[in-house]
Amino acid sequence: MTSSLSAPRSGRRLRRRRGPGPLGGRGPLRTAGVAVTWLFVGANIAGLIWLVLQAFRDTRSILASPWGLPRSLSPHNFVHAWTDSGFGRAAVNSVLVTGISSVLTVAVAAPAAYWLARQDTRLSRGLTLFFVLGLGVPVQVILIPLFVMLNRVYLTDSLIGLNLVYIGVSLPFTVFLLTGFFRSLPKELEEAAALDGVSPAATFWRIMLPIARGGIVTALVLQVIAHWNETLLALTLLQSTDKYTLPIALISFVQQQTYSGADWGGLFAGLSIVVLPMLAVYIWLGRRLTEGLTLGMGK
Amino acid sequence: MIRPAEIRPATAGPPDPAPAAERRPGPEPAPRGGTLARQRRRLFIPFVGPALLLYSVLFIAPIGAAVWISLHNWAGSGPMTWAGLRNYTRLFHDDLFTQSLRNTLELLFVVGAAVFAISFALTLILRDMAGRKAVRAVIFFPHLVNALVYGVLVGFLFNPDGLANSLLAHLGIHSPPQWLAQDNLFPLIMVTMTWMTTGYFTTILMAGVDRIPVSYYEDCALAGAGPLQRLRYVILPLTWDVFGVCAVLWTISSVKIFEIVWIFGGSSGNGIPPTKTWTSAVYTYATAFSGDSVPSYGAATASAILSLLLVTVLVVLLRRLMRREAVEF
Repeated sequence: MTSSLSAPRSGRRLRRRRGPGPLGGRGPLRTAGVAVTWLFVGANIAGLIWLVLQAFRDTRSILASPWGLPRSLSPHNFVHAWTDSGFGRAAVNSVLVTGISSVLTVAVAAPAAYWLARQDTRLSRGLTLFFVLGLGVPVQVILIPLFVMLNRVYLTDSLIGLNLVYIGVSLPFTVFLLTGFFRSLPKELEEAAALDGVSPAATFWRIMLPIARGGIVTALVLQVIAHWNETLLALTLLQSTDKYTLPIALISFVQQQTYSGADWGGLFAGLSIVVLPMLAVYIWLGRRLTEGLTLGMGK
Repeated sequence: MIRPAEIRPATAGPPDPAPAAERRPGPEPAPRGGTLARQRRRLFIPFVGPALLLYSVLFIAPIGAAVWISLHNWAGSGPMTWAGLRNYTRLFHDDLFTQSLRNTLELLFVVGAAVFAISFALTLILRDMAGRKAVRAVIFFPHLVNALVYGVLVGFLFNPDGLANSLLAHLGIHSPPQWLAQDNLFPLIMVTMTWMTTGYFTTILMAGVDRIPVSYYEDCALAGAGPLQRLRYVILPLTWDVFGVCAVLWTISSVKIFEIVWIFGGSSGNGIPPTKTWTSAVYTYATAFSGDSVPSYGAATASAILSLLLVTVLVVLLRRLMRREAVEF
């Protein structure tokens, strides 16, 4: 039994010297596990690269040799998907809906979360629970009532209606995440501000929001990802092609292929248009995202 | 919304001198004076009002409406006739619904078990593996990708001319199985779901395992505990709450699974996936909006309400089951 007794008490080396676990150490089981892990990682990366590469090839050569490489980087498929298959219009719609609804969700949720985090009364505890309960409701429950409601006020097949719905649906998670975040911020600054005669509202705007920027950006990006990928509500609420968001355009493209024959090149271009922005966001803000998604789950 | 505390006569005094008391959990603290606390409470309407209003109108009211609709026969327009619980009883005689429910439960339990077993194994492997951060960064990414993308990709992978068959042909197998036959679709969906979700739960479990102080492992070594004992007495008890959170998260998200099923059989005509692959979310959508037959909003919402009940029961059970004395460390 090795131990890390002799290892220094701090520093990075300690991590690797924890000694063998059931899947630690140097057993054959562990070697196999490490190999499978890297295989899994490799397959994920290869899949993504493969997808983007195939988007530069035409359907016939894709089907003839699915492992082949593109002969040129002609953006033909992308141009075609963007202009003729409606992905361009859908991308604009997706950017608009995602941007507007995410910003508004956070703008509405942040003050509420701050208030709930800083009060400890029966009302605030009850309201926090009220918001949290929404986390457990599967979206198909409210699908039909939302459709009927919005139809009555002429907001189906409308991006404004979709924005509203996205805000409502995202509030439980955003309020939950930000309440936890505001609770973790120190109270001393607010007390100092109060002693200096700053009103609570001004304290929130001028002091707490700047400090909370990290958490607010995390909440915003999580909403961007959720709304960019949201499918079921958009599929229900949007009917005309010029209102489609990207997932819906993708579904309609796949369904058209049933009649017009497979256009895998165009399809892979469409998939790339859906995936690559998420990859960009992930590379840009990756660590913050992982932390936000796991930190929120801590309690 | 004026609460008693707000109409209490103002007690002049310094801004709340007892911040420690505010943090105290437990019974409601006695109403305190202090202009600061009062000012803060007055922010209720501007701060919480908009969120509360939007949430109530766009989320809570529709839940109520869903319960109401599920008790009626309704085609979306025209008259609503009272049906009582008949929509619910009829669902259980509907083969399509029982199939959908069975599929949802399979996703929940079978895929759930697979995801947890793999995630936990990955966590243990990654705990002291070189390049763990890179691995984690890569396997988390599928969580950010729309499941539709996976549906299409797997469809191509197992296409008669796709990657899988061309690989098999290289290995000399020229009569590959009918991957996309109706009976194989749902198992393929389950495998794809496992592939997509494992990374997310691994990330969460890793965060839990990383919190365990190294000294505990050293204690184990001193006490001569073997690897399995260490797993049993240190790692599992100290990550138990994280497991509970993951189980709740998976329960909630698995009941909503829709996109991947919707596109998986996408090429099988008229836009509706083969019924063998339906989940209860697909059942709800297709019964209400498929356009083939008269939409039945009552049955559709009844099935949605049943999935809400399923989530509620399971989450309550899970919380019961996972509740242990929290180990502080």
